[in-house]
Amino acid sequence: MTHPIIRFDHATFGFPGTVALEDISLSIPESEFVGVIGPNGSGKTTLCRAVLGLMAPIRGTLRVLDCACEELRCHHRALIGYLPQKGMLDRNFPVTVLEAVMMGRYGALGLFRRPSGKDRDIARQALTQVGMDHHRDSALGALSGGQQQRVFIARALAQQPRILLLDEPTTGLDLTAQHSVVELIQQLHQELKLTILMITHDINMIRSRVDRLVLLKTKLFAAGPPQDVLKPEILSQVYGKELVITDKDFIIVEDYHHHH
Amino acid sequence: MLELLAYDFMQRSLLAAALVGSVCSVIGVFVVLRGLAFAGAGTAHAAFAGVTLAYLLGLPPLSLAIVFGLATVWITGWVEEKGRMKLDVSIGILYTATMALAILFLGLMKTYNPEVYGYLFGSVLSVTTEELLTIGGLSIAVLGTILLLSKELYFIAFDQEMAAASGVPARQIFYLLLTLVALTVVIALKTVGAILVFAMILIPASTAYQLTHSLTQMTLYSMLIGIFCAVTGVLLSYAFDLPSGPSIVLLATSLFFLAVCCSPKRLHRIQTE
Repeated sequence: MTHPIIRFDHATFGFPGTVALEDISLSIPESEFVGVIGPNGSGKTTLCRAVLGLMAPIRGTLRVLDCACEELRCHHRALIGYLPQKGMLDRNFPVTVLEAVMMGRYGALGLFRRPSGKDRDIARQALTQVGMDHHRDSALGALSGGQQQRVFIARALAQQPRILLLDEPTTGLDLTAQHSVVELIQQLHQELKLTILMITHDINMIRSRVDRLVLLKTKLFAAGPPQDVLKPEILSQVYGKELVITDKDFIIVEDYHHHH
Repeated sequence: MLELLAYDFMQRSLLAAALVGSVCSVIGVFVVLRGLAFAGAGTAHAAFAGVTLAYLLGLPPLSLAIVFGLATVWITGWVEEKGRMKLDVSIGILYTATMALAILFLGLMKTYNPEVYGYLFGSVLSVTTEELLTIGGLSIAVLGTILLLSKELYFIAFDQEMAAASGVPARQIFYLLLTLVALTVVIALKTVGAILVFAMILIPASTAYQLTHSLTQMTLYSMLIGIFCAVTGVLLSYAFDLPSGPSIVLLATSLFFLAVCCSPKRLHRIQTE
């Protein structure tokens, strides 16, 4: 096993009086593609914010890129590409696709330095990698939801990151767009050997693509290859009895299974 | 019209108007995009409270305007950051409290002081050389800072958390933006007055917002609109013997409605719907 790029050691996160994630121990080696699943409020986004250094553990430790997460400095953060949950984007926000992707260079550039031709080339290359270079002069707001997600992935890639953190990248997209975004992420993982942490509710979409699944419900419930985590006895403890695994290995809600 | 430019007071007024127009309209881009419009309005009234207290104590008026403006804008930022209460509520309280202070200080002055009212309603035609130097110095400081940190300011206006996650010191830049807003309000106080200063920050940027999909173009358009409205407003106010502040602001408002009607973004949306 290669050296872990992210290591939680009995780490607990939260605010005084409320615990969002408790006693997490988990090592993620470089170049691994990890899917993070769990019900709403299970601490998935907290995990993400912790890795970004936006939240320090109240007990235990978290080391990211060989640095304690509470000491992550701007130059460390610049090595973590982050795709936040899809918010309500103001469709009129005046930013072109290339301008939005160029923002990915700003952290690494540092204060007072203007982007150079090389930064522009890196941004263009990131747009090419997500298949959006021909839209570089378009208004971001004029693109479809799936295209916007590709642009935000390009923004993260423009950081030339070692870790890619994706918080529900397919939420709010239509089925075709969901599929193409997940395919793109898998392809980027294979080509760039990035360490990827992808938070998702779409277990069926990622189960065949990730190296490992991490199942959260305030605690780390299970972590391992998808076939070891997606077992009825484990899932029922986290999601309740409603989830069932069909004969074709699809995980669905039981009501649906009965009626169809 | 050209003979007007021979007068010293007119040269000072036009220069002050151009400086105020450019600073307000450029900072306005970040205020509009970051959703800080109401915070700025609160700051303007707080700055006026500072001016009234300074007159009461016999201090330079702009010194306390800066102190009050900065205190208000920083408290506003802190409340937003902590999420303790809704931003519009906290600003509403500060806004009215500082206005109450201003009225209280005015009441404590035993005599009517027209100069104080100049800061409330604006009197660009009476700008002195010293005031022009202060406006010029502060304008250079604000515009220079924006120029040096424009990429970070754009990024936090777009998405502050994404900026922080990408390695930009987003929190510090946010407080810097708030500081620049307070300084801009102080710069514009004498020219357009506490009541109308925020129109100069909001309207040119909102007009430019209607016209383009590019951040850099929006900033450029906003600046041109701001300078045009400020200078033309001063000339109109002199030519027709009108108060200068309202002339500038109403001209800017007319341009805004024109831009809304002709907005390429809006027309494009109507076509695609």
